[in-house]
Amino acid sequence: MSATGNRTWPKLTSRDEFRFLAEQVFKRSTGDHTLVSLHDQQSGTTRFANNQIIQNVATRRGSLTVTVAFGRRHGTAGTTDFTAGAVQEAVTRATQIAHLSPDDPEYLPPGAPQAYVRAPTARAETAAAGPARRLEYTNEAIGQCRMENLGAAGMVSSSMATVGVAASTGLFAHEERTDARFSLTVQAGEATGWGAAAHRSIDHLRVQERTLSAIGKAKRGLEVRELPPGRYKVILEPAAVAGLWFLLLRTLDAKSYEKGTSAFSGKLGQPIVDKRLTLRNMPEHEDLLGIGFTADGLPTMASDWIVEGVLTQLAYDRFTAKVRGIDQIPTLDAPCLSGNGATVPGLQELIKSTERAILVTNFWYIRTVNPTDLTMTGMTRDGTFLVENGAIVSAVKNLRFHESPLRAFNRIEAFTNQAEAITSETGKFLVPAMTLRDFNFSSVTRF
Amino acid sequence: MPNLNQDELAELAVKRITASGAEYGDIRILDSTTQTIRGEDRRIASIRETQDRGFGIRVLYHGAWGFAASSVLSLEEVPRVAELAVEIAKGSASLASEKVKLADEPVHRDRVVTDRRIDPFTVALEHKTALLLETMEYVHRQPGIVRSSAGLWACQDRKLFVSTEGARLEFDLLAVNGAFDATAVHDGRFASRCYNTPHLRMGFELIEDANFLAEAPRIASQAVENVKAPTTEPGLYDLVLDPEHLSLTMHESCGHPSELDRALGYEANYAGTSFLTTDKRGTYRYGSPQVNLVADNLEPQTLAATGYDDDGVACQQWDIVRDGLFVGYCTNREVAPKIGEIRSRGSNRADSWGSVPIVRIANIGLEPGSATLDELLADVKRGIYIEGHGSYSIDQRRYNFQFGGDAFWLIENGKRTHMVRDVIYHGITPEFWGSCDAVADRSHRRRYGFITCGKGQPGQSGWMTHAASHARFRNVNVIGGQGGS
Repeated sequence: MSATGNRTWPKLTSRDEFRFLAEQVFKRSTGDHTLVSLHDQQSGTTRFANNQIIQNVATRRGSLTVTVAFGRRHGTAGTTDFTAGAVQEAVTRATQIAHLSPDDPEYLPPGAPQAYVRAPTARAETAAAGPARRLEYTNEAIGQCRMENLGAAGMVSSSMATVGVAASTGLFAHEERTDARFSLTVQAGEATGWGAAAHRSIDHLRVQERTLSAIGKAKRGLEVRELPPGRYKVILEPAAVAGLWFLLLRTLDAKSYEKGTSAFSGKLGQPIVDKRLTLRNMPEHEDLLGIGFTADGLPTMASDWIVEGVLTQLAYDRFTAKVRGIDQIPTLDAPCLSGNGATVPGLQELIKSTERAILVTNFWYIRTVNPTDLTMTGMTRDGTFLVENGAIVSAVKNLRFHESPLRAFNRIEAFTNQAEAITSETGKFLVPAMTLRDFNFSSVTRF
Repeated sequence: MPNLNQDELAELAVKRITASGAEYGDIRILDSTTQTIRGEDRRIASIRETQDRGFGIRVLYHGAWGFAASSVLSLEEVPRVAELAVEIAKGSASLASEKVKLADEPVHRDRVVTDRRIDPFTVALEHKTALLLETMEYVHRQPGIVRSSAGLWACQDRKLFVSTEGARLEFDLLAVNGAFDATAVHDGRFASRCYNTPHLRMGFELIEDANFLAEAPRIASQAVENVKAPTTEPGLYDLVLDPEHLSLTMHESCGHPSELDRALGYEANYAGTSFLTTDKRGTYRYGSPQVNLVADNLEPQTLAATGYDDDGVACQQWDIVRDGLFVGYCTNREVAPKIGEIRSRGSNRADSWGSVPIVRIANIGLEPGSATLDELLADVKRGIYIEGHGSYSIDQRRYNFQFGGDAFWLIENGKRTHMVRDVIYHGITPEFWGSCDAVADRSHRRRYGFITCGKGQPGQSGWMTHAASHARFRNVNVIGGQGGS
């Protein structure tokens, strides 16, 4: 079923229309190989602060990219104009660039036709959502905050896109993707509380539940104490766990591994985190944002990356994969981190079972400090609390951490079942909340 | 945009907006061409040229905003999008408790063109790729180098801005950049050294004058020296920071907190708020008396010097920090009246036709002092000299920061001695700027531009330039590369 096919004009580029466009490109191209990529999207965001809307936007953007290759020389040209003349211009420019390019020893022709598993990438309710639906959710979040005399800042967005890759080799992929997001920061004077969600379905954002949770955090933040820097037991909510894993996953590329410029060099097949942790890619999971194919038109696939703490997979570009004789390149578009063994059901149980710890809602501005050992830094944000004897006793001033996930995730005490996690700096994950020992907070800020 | 008259499209939009009863509206029609050449490990990995065309329509209806945009440039699409923007604005108005009132601005009708000696899009691709390949070859001649990258970037924006107030502004803007780096491996560690031209609004002469081939051996040699350098002992050090490094420090710790929309809470859910709250303006000690931070969107070649912003407000120059006191914000027509200012500072910019303009950091720079670099160093017994950008992170109100750098040298008894590695310094913004006791003179002044400044939801990239001479800071807390972890 098409999620976007019933939309009134201007509808997005359909499968048949993309096939037609791609064929026009192939007819015009004189290259040995030609690859065409499509990204055609309608999106909207309603953004609010101080309990009223500050931005309310809707954008339609279509783009077509053409890569032409002669032998190992290749060039790429893109356009947002789908008229025949503009598409011809793009083909001509890509051809000119390819003719003038030097040989690229790592160039590989586009792949052969592929079989794709149909991932649940689009939901009709999100495709149908417009400004009125976003306004409804905005009103709900603001209304809840107004009732408590608190300030709401946040956003509701929804988008639908058609994405395609086609090549002169016969490779052809096209799918519809939808995406809906909600995030909210509640302000109670100096205190803030935060919550966020992202899902293919706009019906699954759970706006009311997340608003009430953010309100609760903001209200608990009114009484704040300052803790000195040092090593603390921490309870990391799923968003905080996702923040630390996001950068880790981005540094798994095979080329850096082989050149010795990766924190993981020499560690394939070795334990890198607690043996209870397993990381899988699950593109078909309905609560993740998996996609059906990559920008190269290769199928995404379920795959294991870390099994019982052992690194078992690297992120391959096509050239390095070929050199290593890897036919099917594993992808990491829908990461799911799970804990094996005894778990507690949820965050509240984790808090109840903890004698003393700092509870972290979210991290902010996470950056790599030392790429050799993957030491990172970042700040806690929008809900940092002291837990004593199984309960939150106060908020604490935000802290900066310096820690490597390769060390921190070897100091796990307990974890929960998986939950959805997204932050403004990460993609979406399924991860447990966790308690970690001796987490290094290096300094404290003023609020 | 062949066969379409932009003025005709703009007039169509303005008529629809006016007929809707909206109090204000504007249309930006943009045609951007970007060329990116990326080299990696002695090969040209990609050459890409993209044309990004479209328009965005902004409407203020009963004191509330609506915005709609499209990449379909047609006589049918413009009125559809204009009506959608009005419909969206009406929705916003239904929740508005405080109406937006725009600061007045004279109606401008003008054309702005970036001066260029060499149009980068006319320079032969073979010349560009040969330069990058040769640069990487030079880098790899240095024993110990295992990886390299090199790139060139150029962007041309042709824009028409028309408002319901009668403004008509036409732009032909250009920006150029080039960079390369070298990565060395030693004893299980790796480290890189980078060379960047500033992003500036000028032609390919920026690249020609940068002389990559002369710089490549130095960069490669310093990458190797860097990876073999002794680690730094944590402790208090005097720091002497070079202009490229300072550009980032200023950007994060002065630029962002001086955005008035942040101070008013507009970015509370994403980029954050600001410790420079409105009650502090004119009285708050931001830094030492040596610290003068000036926003200058008039300086030729700088990224935010576009003649007019996306509110149609003329670019200006003003003080952010004067003699160490915080005195001014970056504003747009919407937020300026909220602090009693009658005119916007002209700092409202969007990153494309599809984005709504928001307050962005201006070209904020540190005013030169009177010392030479040698004089700055001479008065340091135990310190570190830092060049370039490294790891950086700062809290969402811009108090607590940590910065690394690209290369570090130990200063002992007034002299730069040898490279050290793993330098991360940490501080609280007003204390750090309060420790600045000297700034080098104008002859040391350099400019560095940013094109990836993230802000807004959906995220937008801001462009601005930060200029500085070298500056010295006393007793700064330096932590090791693991931050004690």
